[in-house]
Amino acid sequence: MYDGTVATLFFYLFAVASIALALGVVLGRRLLRSAVCLIGVLGSSAGLILVLGFEFIAGIQVLVFIGGIVVLLLFAIMMTSEGHTFEQRPNAARRVMGGIVATAFFVVTLSVYWNTDFPLVSKEGLAVSHEDVHAIGRKLLSNERDGYIVPFEVISLLLLAALIGGIVIARKHDPEDT
Amino acid sequence: MFPTPTITHWLTLSALLFSIGLYGIFTRRNAVGVLLSIELTLNSAILNILIFNRFVASDDVDGQVLVLFIIAAAAAEAVVALAIFVSFYRHRHTLDVTQANHIYDQGNRTS
Repeated sequence: MYDGTVATLFFYLFAVASIALALGVVLGRRLLRSAVCLIGVLGSSAGLILVLGFEFIAGIQVLVFIGGIVVLLLFAIMMTSEGHTFEQRPNAARRVMGGIVATAFFVVTLSVYWNTDFPLVSKEGLAVSHEDVHAIGRKLLSNERDGYIVPFEVISLLLLAALIGGIVIARKHDPEDT
Repeated sequence: MFPTPTITHWLTLSALLFSIGLYGIFTRRNAVGVLLSIELTLNSAILNILIFNRFVASDDVDGQVLVLFIIAAAAAEAVVALAIFVSFYRHRHTLDVTQANHIYDQGNRTS
């Protein structure tokens, strides 16, 4: 027994929330408020991912994106603003250019989407759990032809390099040291 | 009242989020603000991949694995960006990207 009305309702709810909060991220002049709006956008996206039926990815989104990345950005905002978190308003030319680029991208992408027949294979409703964590784990660590073991190792090296690079770039340099 | 969301509705939502992020990248003057907009576009890309995984290739988990990689890369990118911003702010006492058009301060290089 599956009722699609609830999934539809939640889709529109999260869609409106994420778009409004995304506008808040982009248009606001206070950076801290923008970061809090970004938390809202990512939370709404986690909700949308849940509506799609991927619980594991939604959990990772909340844990890593909201818990890790946005907190890092909050650190960046607080360490680089001495009390004043206002940002100067962009000039009109910049705003017009940004608006033109964003609108052009949106129109082109939308015209492609609405004119394409996607080969839909899944006819079942939304919000049905559609997930197999065991399959993800096997795929991630398998060394068959369609496995992802090499990208997995590369991304762990990338994280290590980012860790060391972050420390080296951000530390205070002694004047006599080099 | 509302139509049941099909794949086109989902993709429209994702494209709209991406466009908003794009506008932010072009108009923000603070570097951290630009980074916030980039996170917005990354988030919409994740959503897009998951939508295609759900509707077009629902037997595979490749999209979900790819999303895990994207999230890891986004974390690494945020770390390095934070370090660069802190270092830049220490040299220049501002994060305005419109004033960041040369690498070294001529003359008074602190530290």
